[in-house]
Amino acid sequence: MKVLIVGGGKPVYFLCRTFLDKGHEVTVINRDHEECVQMARRLKVTVVHGDGSDPNILEEAGSHGADAVLAVTPNDQDNLAVCQLASIQHDVPRTIALVNDPDNKNVFKKLGVTAFSTTRTIASMIEQRTALDEIINLIPVGEGKVNITEIKLQPTFPVVGKLLRNLSLPTDSLIAVVLRNSDAVVPRGDTELRAGDRIVLITLPANHGPVLKAITGETS
Amino acid sequence: MASDLFIVIVGCGRLGSHLANQLSRAGHGVVTIDADEHAFGNLSPQYSGFRVEGDATELAVLKQAKVDKADLVISTTRDDNINLMVAQVAKTEFGVTRVLARVFEPRREAIYRRLGVETICPTSVAADLFLKSFIKEGST
Amino acid sequence: MKEVIVRKASYLRQKYRMILSYTGLILVLCAVLMLTPLLALIAWPGEGSQARVFLVPAVLMAALGIAARQLLRSKADVVLNVQEAGVIVLLSWVLVCLFSAWPFMALMGLNFTQAVFESVSGWTTTGLSVVDVTQASHVILLWRSIMQLAGGAGLAIIMLSSITGPTGPALSVAEGREQLVPHVRQSAKLVMMIYSGYMVVGIIALRLAGMNWFDAVNHAFAALSTGGFSTHPESIGYWNSAAVEAVTITLMFFGNLSFVTAWLLLRGRFRAVGHNGEIRLMAVMITLCAILLFLLTTRGLYPTLGKSVRVAVFETVTALTTTGFSTVGYGDWNSFGWVVLIVLMLIGGGTCSTAGGIKQYRIYLLWKSLVWELRRSLLPRTAVTVNPVWEADRQVFVNDTRLRQIGTFVFLYLLTFAVGSAVLTAHGYGLKEALFEYASAVGTVGLSVGVTSPSAPTGVLWAEIVGMFLGRLEFFVILAGTAKLLGDSWAVVYSRRVTGRFEQGAGV
Repeated sequence: MKVLIVGGGKPVYFLCRTFLDKGHEVTVINRDHEECVQMARRLKVTVVHGDGSDPNILEEAGSHGADAVLAVTPNDQDNLAVCQLASIQHDVPRTIALVNDPDNKNVFKKLGVTAFSTTRTIASMIEQRTALDEIINLIPVGEGKVNITEIKLQPTFPVVGKLLRNLSLPTDSLIAVVLRNSDAVVPRGDTELRAGDRIVLITLPANHGPVLKAITGETS
Repeated sequence: MASDLFIVIVGCGRLGSHLANQLSRAGHGVVTIDADEHAFGNLSPQYSGFRVEGDATELAVLKQAKVDKADLVISTTRDDNINLMVAQVAKTEFGVTRVLARVFEPRREAIYRRLGVETICPTSVAADLFLKSFIKEGST
Repeated sequence: MKEVIVRKASYLRQKYRMILSYTGLILVLCAVLMLTPLLALIAWPGEGSQARVFLVPAVLMAALGIAARQLLRSKADVVLNVQEAGVIVLLSWVLVCLFSAWPFMALMGLNFTQAVFESVSGWTTTGLSVVDVTQASHVILLWRSIMQLAGGAGLAIIMLSSITGPTGPALSVAEGREQLVPHVRQSAKLVMMIYSGYMVVGIIALRLAGMNWFDAVNHAFAALSTGGFSTHPESIGYWNSAAVEAVTITLMFFGNLSFVTAWLLLRGRFRAVGHNGEIRLMAVMITLCAILLFLLTTRGLYPTLGKSVRVAVFETVTALTTTGFSTVGYGDWNSFGWVVLIVLMLIGGGTCSTAGGIKQYRIYLLWKSLVWELRRSLLPRTAVTVNPVWEADRQVFVNDTRLRQIGTFVFLYLLTFAVGSAVLTAHGYGLKEALFEYASAVGTVGLSVGVTSPSAPTGVLWAEIVGMFLGRLEFFVILAGTAKLLGDSWAVVYSRRVTGRFEQGAGV
């Protein structure tokens, strides 16, 4: 897959690395020359120096051949412009914009741009008051209607040692995958949960807290 | 143009402040938004509208300026992207009937015209005028 | 050097044509106002012979105004800045007050000082009086109330509501008025509408409370403009009625509300009003002072407990709102009562309303400033603090410039108060009386302990006139306007001497 990322800083660096690990082709557009040089040195990506919201630069960077364009600059207006230009001018199938002002998420959607906001994610993590070292990758999916969470099971958790069918988790939740010693298993009723397992949990935001509490046993 | 509209102008630079002064003088209610409070110094003593200091890409700032009640929104910042975003947000989120955005880059203007955003491109306008006068001279 | 002076003089001439032209417009409008008391002749045609004392000055003012407009109107559409607006405010207030004094001299036999005093007391909505109201005709009484009504609205609002004239906010700002909506004319019209609404409701309410129509009209005008002129020497005490007092208190309260706050209330923005510093200050001060006055001053003084309570509440409200109606005399009050009243009069009413005094918003900010300072002393040295306060319907941050301006204003105010009181004591009055009366004058309140009367010395009356004027126009306009006028006149005179001949308006 050809991915075009507009933006800079650590988030873009690690995004690039992640995509490269997955085998995709990445091009980055960045305004700062020094940063472009650094990125070119450390990553096997094509780096274009310029303003990603400039139609000429987008074209030079190969947006007409891109499968996805990701706009992650600190400015909502630039991210909006990049995505709109990419999808209208070059018919890029997937365009995603980062929004800093969570209120803008819905507006962008009305304008036809998929947007995500890290503000809500981080805020909801803190609200649920779960220990951060046990919970990884809390991803809101489907416009925030579904949460996917990866939890490493500690020995003290009440669910450890139980069979899946004997767990009394609240409704509307699902343990989708159990990762044990780098094996991924889609569990069935007779799967036993052990300490050290990493489970991938699907919940709805409304019951996320109670489900986590049932799994971790934390009386928060 | 009707006699007293409620107009919101984003950006208080040379163009924005000029428009604000003229419109206020003509009797309309005007609110000017700019992220830098010193920009309001461009407004003349004749200006009797309100001033809002803030970033117009934030919905909260637009709400504070009462964009939902505006008859006309004109975005004149130096950044094309901000102008385009404000124009689209004003139209889709706040239902403003007439929205104008200044866009310097002609290529962008063409694309956004397709999205239905009314734009004014000083670069194209100036280029046209230059060419007209050049051609006129050439033909005499 | 000479070149510069001559050029400057020519520039000034152009500006002054505009300034005088706009002053002319205000004079014309006030001339029309001066004819309105003649409406009383409809009910009392016997006073018809008095019409002349109003017609003459009105016609003269109108003539002067029209002449200024016609001769001096400049072709260019010149923009008014705040300094020029200040000069217009100064000139028009002085001229209007002088012309308004005419009926008092012609009809009531007052001398120049006394007539000007009454006129200034009317326009500045003070309410101190040297007129014997038992001898005054209905026309004169109505004129006094109309002066207060118009003065409360302000000449700027009157002019802006008219069809012609400049559209800039400079004039409004110079007279101390804030805008309600984002255009100055619409804002002025809105203020007039709110004011008129108040009037209609007020007149009807007072009539229902027991006054006759004439008294209801006059007292409604005087209450809403927080003026305080009454048709009876005993003021509101004449009726000795709880209903009349209750209605009057309500009217005084609304008169002292900032028009911005009133506009918010009308639109239903109650939460914003709840945050409002002036509302909070009033809530605290009125409750506190009324209770203290009752407990420590009025309790033993009056025949019934109910009367004592009524007096405590009424006098608190009339002093704080700077209206000046009274229900009792203060001769038998103890000094504590006098102190409370003086403090209330100094604090004054709401900003951007018809009231006077230092104004509640300034006091509120000074108080908040104290609280912030105390809080800051408890924080780490390098902590950054911000000072939020609610203005109208949003939160703003108070910066040091604002506090500095307030500080300077308060200093000027108290300085004037001190000097004025000193002048009064120099004429032989007691300290208590001098402090009270002058606080009343400079705060444009109108409560009196007897110093102000037809037999008061000329020096005292002029000291009070200056105090009322400075208080109403909030010092800076007068000081800056006078300085500019003097400086500009000097430039023009000097240039004439330098060029040695009469400039025939060349280049203007």
